[in-house]
Amino acid sequence: MVEVIEVRSVSKTYQQPKRFPGVLGALKSLVTPEYTEVKAVADVSFGIRKGEAVGYLGPNGAGKSTMIKMMTGILVPTSGSVSVLGCTPHERRMEIARRIGVVFGQRSQLWWDLPVADSFELHRRIYDIPAARYADNLRRFAELLELEPFLDRAVRQLSLGQRMRAEIVMALLHDPQILFLDEPTIGLDVVAKDAVRRFLAEVNRERGITIILTTHDLQDIETICPRLIMVDHARLVFDGELGRLRSALGSARRLTLEFTTDPGPLPLTTAVLTADDGLLKHYRIERDDVSLVDVLTEVGPGREIKDIALEEPNIEEVIRTFYQRRNTAVPA
Amino acid sequence: MSAYLAFAQSGFLTQLAYRNEVWANLFGKLVQVFARVAIWTAIYGGAGVIGGVSLEEMVTYALLGGAVTGAARYETVVGGIGHALRTGDVAVWLLKPVHFPLYVIASEVGRALYRFTFLVVPTVIFVALFYGMLPPASFFHGAMFVAYWVLALAIFFLIAALFGLVAFWLLTSFSLEWLMQALLNLLAGQLIPFWFFPEPLGAIARQLPFAWIVYYPSAVWLGRLSPEECLAQFGIGLGWAAALAFGVWLLWRRASGRVVVQGG
Ligand SMILES: Nc1ncnc2c1ncn2[C@@H]1O[C@H](COP(=O)(O)OP(=O)(O)OP(=O)(O)O)[C@@H](O)[C@H]1O
Ligand SMILES: [Mg+2]
Repeated sequence: MVEVIEVRSVSKTYQQPKRFPGVLGALKSLVTPEYTEVKAVADVSFGIRKGEAVGYLGPNGAGKSTMIKMMTGILVPTSGSVSVLGCTPHERRMEIARRIGVVFGQRSQLWWDLPVADSFELHRRIYDIPAARYADNLRRFAELLELEPFLDRAVRQLSLGQRMRAEIVMALLHDPQILFLDEPTIGLDVVAKDAVRRFLAEVNRERGITIILTTHDLQDIETICPRLIMVDHARLVFDGELGRLRSALGSARRLTLEFTTDPGPLPLTTAVLTADDGLLKHYRIERDDVSLVDVLTEVGPGREIKDIALEEPNIEEVIRTFYQRRNTAVPA
Repeated sequence: MSAYLAFAQSGFLTQLAYRNEVWANLFGKLVQVFARVAIWTAIYGGAGVIGGVSLEEMVTYALLGGAVTGAARYETVVGGIGHALRTGDVAVWLLKPVHFPLYVIASEVGRALYRFTFLVVPTVIFVALFYGMLPPASFFHGAMFVAYWVLALAIFFLIAALFGLVAFWLLTSFSLEWLMQALLNLLAGQLIPFWFFPEPLGAIARQLPFAWIVYYPSAVWLGRLSPEECLAQFGIGLGWAAALAFGVWLLWRRASGRVVVQGG
């Protein structure tokens, strides 16, 4: 398969001018400016193949937006190389721009004063989209994301969720090969988030558009992205499938057993007792090769069980475990 | 190219959306132009001709002076470019296959055409009915005036874009807007035509690009330039426009390059 994005040992260091208090301080920073260096991305490498959907994850300030900006050509890496569709993005910005779509959750690309439909029309003219293709895409996307009701309303009158749906549709009108999204679901309610996710998953599946999205909402990753790239303090800390992360962490399943009569304290070897409420006992199954049957066998036949609940670890928990372990292993 | 036409068209149409402001604007403009003409009439007193310029010519000059500056606004261009660069909003534009300063200019040209049609032309006609206005000196001069008007618009906006880009480094566009207005008043010949300037100030002002915004178009209409001079000055004006366009291109590359390197 072809790699559409190649990121090789990329670093980005921002220079922030130091400010000193007072008039003299202002003068000083004017004459001999001093800079604080902020390392936003440090030696990150990865490759993304055509048609993949990748979630880019990390805590605030981990360098996600910075990486998106470098891949879209609006920021130059301090060192290392980025290649998108075979070109260096910041050197061939205009050319790359025609072949990618970008959505910034925090920054609108629609024309504030114009109706949504007019923004789309301007977009068509900017990208020289053939009329038939444009009409086709617009109809299809507008239907999927239910834009019809507000197509002729000015952008400034839209709710955040409506605006974001319009942003995403606009970014796709020119048939980009790659779609970059920086926090596309930020601030949306559950229904809108769900609509956006299903839409992105479908676009990725049916049109083969490569998707890279940053998010803080792990549900986004679960629905859209089989692959996960995690960064922390500017560095790449995990790259692979969500399932692999789960098993690598051996994330524990939770088991709750409800007895008809209190069996007393009941420690097991297959599972760790985490809470004991008498009739209700909570366990953690830490090993993947332990099955429910193994646990029940150990509990033994003599005890009457009324109810059993087994919960798979959810993604939030997996990620939290991941970052916790890292932070205890490597003190920052 | 189609994209920039679309921007101009969109600028024109958004102005149309605020058409209830037209009457207020028209009234404001009328007062302004009447005042300017009244001042010149007062200055002339009973005298028919001052410094080789008749009152009729002077009134015509005052009316034509608004043909570009009455329609075009530099604030949106100076402020728009400066603001987008400083706040980092320009990032959104770097993602699109368009040249940002050209986009800002194109949209403003659309708005200027709207104001020209619905504001400037009615005002000029109305005032002309009261005070009279001279026709172009000849058919040739009339045709040349149209060409000069287009060139004036181009030079006006290119200078505004240049100021907007400078604002990126100076971190202020306010003072630059003031400066732009002052330069227009003085060096474009908007308040006082160069004929009344003491030399060598008049001679210098005639060479600067601002002269093509107000002075030359009006002088051409009035037949103050011979046909040969009309063509020659037009060529020089084109040269200025090209130089300004190059300046805009260069500063834009610098400014956007800095944004791209530093991040915003
Ligand atoms: N223009 C800039 N100048 C200086 N420092 C910057 C600039 N932009 C970002 N930074 C710094 O770089 C680091 C990474 O920022 P970035 O925006 O990439 O983080 P992020 O992962 O997108 O965070 P979030 O989840 O909050 O959006 C942060 O420490 C931030 O303060
Ligand atoms: Mg971010």
